[in-house]
Amino acid sequence: MRLLWLAVAVFGFFTPVLLGGGALVYGTLTVVAIFAVMAYGLDIILSDLGEVSLAHTAFFAAGAYAAALLAVDHEWGAWATLGGAVVASSVLALVLGLLTLHTREFAFSLVTYAASVVCAVVAANWSALGGSDGVVGVPPLDLSIVAPPAPASTNAQLWPYAYGLLLLTMYVVSGFRRSRLGQAALMVHMNPRLAVMSGLDPQRIRLQVFLLSAPISAVAGWLYAYQRAYVGPDLFDNYFLVLMLTAVILVGRRILIAPALGTALLVGQTSFASLGSYGDKVLLGVVLLTILCLFPGGLASIRLRLRS
Amino acid sequence: MNYLQQAINGLVIGHAFALVAVGWTLLLGSARLVNFGHGQMYMIGAFVAWWVMRTTGLPYLLAVPCAVLAGAALGALMQKLMLRLTLQQNLVSLMIATLGFGQLLEGAAGFAFGPRPQMIASPLQGIEFRWGEIWFTAQDVLLVAATIAVFLLLHLVLSRTVFGSSVRMVAEDPKLTQLGGLNVSRVYMGIFAFEGAAVAFAACLVAPRTPILTSMGFEQVIMTFVVVVLGGIGSVRGSYVAGLGLGLFTAFFGALVSPAYTTAAVFAVLIAVMVLRPGELSSAGGFAR
Repeated sequence: MRLLWLAVAVFGFFTPVLLGGGALVYGTLTVVAIFAVMAYGLDIILSDLGEVSLAHTAFFAAGAYAAALLAVDHEWGAWATLGGAVVASSVLALVLGLLTLHTREFAFSLVTYAASVVCAVVAANWSALGGSDGVVGVPPLDLSIVAPPAPASTNAQLWPYAYGLLLLTMYVVSGFRRSRLGQAALMVHMNPRLAVMSGLDPQRIRLQVFLLSAPISAVAGWLYAYQRAYVGPDLFDNYFLVLMLTAVILVGRRILIAPALGTALLVGQTSFASLGSYGDKVLLGVVLLTILCLFPGGLASIRLRLRS
Repeated sequence: MNYLQQAINGLVIGHAFALVAVGWTLLLGSARLVNFGHGQMYMIGAFVAWWVMRTTGLPYLLAVPCAVLAGAALGALMQKLMLRLTLQQNLVSLMIATLGFGQLLEGAAGFAFGPRPQMIASPLQGIEFRWGEIWFTAQDVLLVAATIAVFLLLHLVLSRTVFGSSVRMVAEDPKLTQLGGLNVSRVYMGIFAFEGAAVAFAACLVAPRTPILTSMGFEQVIMTFVVVVLGGIGSVRGSYVAGLGLGLFTAFFGALVSPAYTTAAVFAVLIAVMVLRPGELSSAGGFAR
């Protein structure tokens, strides 16, 4: 099984070459990898904790803003800005996690949504964060440890980093699901009373999972800042939220590869088979409603249903 | 600063918040449905009124019922799509489904009405009343009067009629209500249709104040979100009071502190209330009151 995963991972790396290797292909697949990482952050909250966090756009934006501000204003290197992105999102997640300790279901979603709105307004108006203009001129990503520098200034050069980050994220999520924390999260989700009876502290577990998920989405934001060389209040746009949620539920929850496949289908459609701005919105809405209303288990459940 | 003028502005805005929120209040209280498509339903209501006036030449006051009917039909469609999830009380899927419904409406409206901003030409917007330094329009008077009427009517329906009892029973326990022989899906149909009709009615009365865009979406009604939650889930009286309070808060905060940070301040208050008093979010004690 491990060999199969390894083969799929190697095959995945050469996907842009197999698809022709053009600029559009590299651009699309790099964005797919970044957005998939963003979606994995939400995936462990939605699939394992059973909650809908609407604050993950804020974590994604926190990572992007940290990278841009530290790189542009303080000329920090990419490894240092990566640390900054993780710290910024973790602090935000800790505050929000403590605030939402006693809220569940739609109350949890409402508080996380409210937090996201507050962050968006602050980002759009506070001049220290660039205000409505955002932060421009993010330098190319350079993760070289020894000289000479090797900046990744094109999507083809960024692709190995984006793909590597995606694989690393999948490894972390897979490890989380096998870990005691992952199993405890699932138990808290499925039966909180039973979790308490077995000696678990649901609030502590919820906070720990929240603290794990935020940096995942933030690291995606960090790489996105380098990819497009600009960050702004548009990072809080509902587009990212809808994309994340759809990517997580489209194929099926608690399937390791599902958010990556979901993101690839959604971003791939807008890049290679776009129906125009309005058509893409209609299609996204129809897909979401069809999946949720007819196949709540995602596309993967269709196969199971046919088999049964 | 003219405090009296700010108070009048706050009252008018507050009634607008309350009217836009009233349908969602009932929906959230009875079906536990966080409707992220509410903004797009508002947008459709406004554009239907504009389109009816433009294509048929009907006056504003006759275009309003057309938009309300279209809104009710939209609400009914929403019920058809989401009935199973509502009956299952699958709150996570329901919430995401409303986001999808909103995307669908926004895309469809873009095809139907185009990207350009439009204005709903209400003749009442041009009628002004002035006393010294304070002023307001006939549209403002209509908005306040209509909001009070809608809330009173809803209160009477919920507290004095058979249908109102059914709605309260469904809010309390839909499965047990169904076991008791009541047609729950029909009650939900009424609630969803009311949500669509009410938000379309609100759009017709509020939207003539600003240009309308098919992309205005949830951000346009973002304050409604606060009204619905701060008023107490499902509380009709609570959402009216919350709407008024929020209108006054935004008017004075914008004038005295900073208009740019008004939304952030309101949402910070919301977070504080939800975190400090999570019991306020329970519908058990306050629904339909």
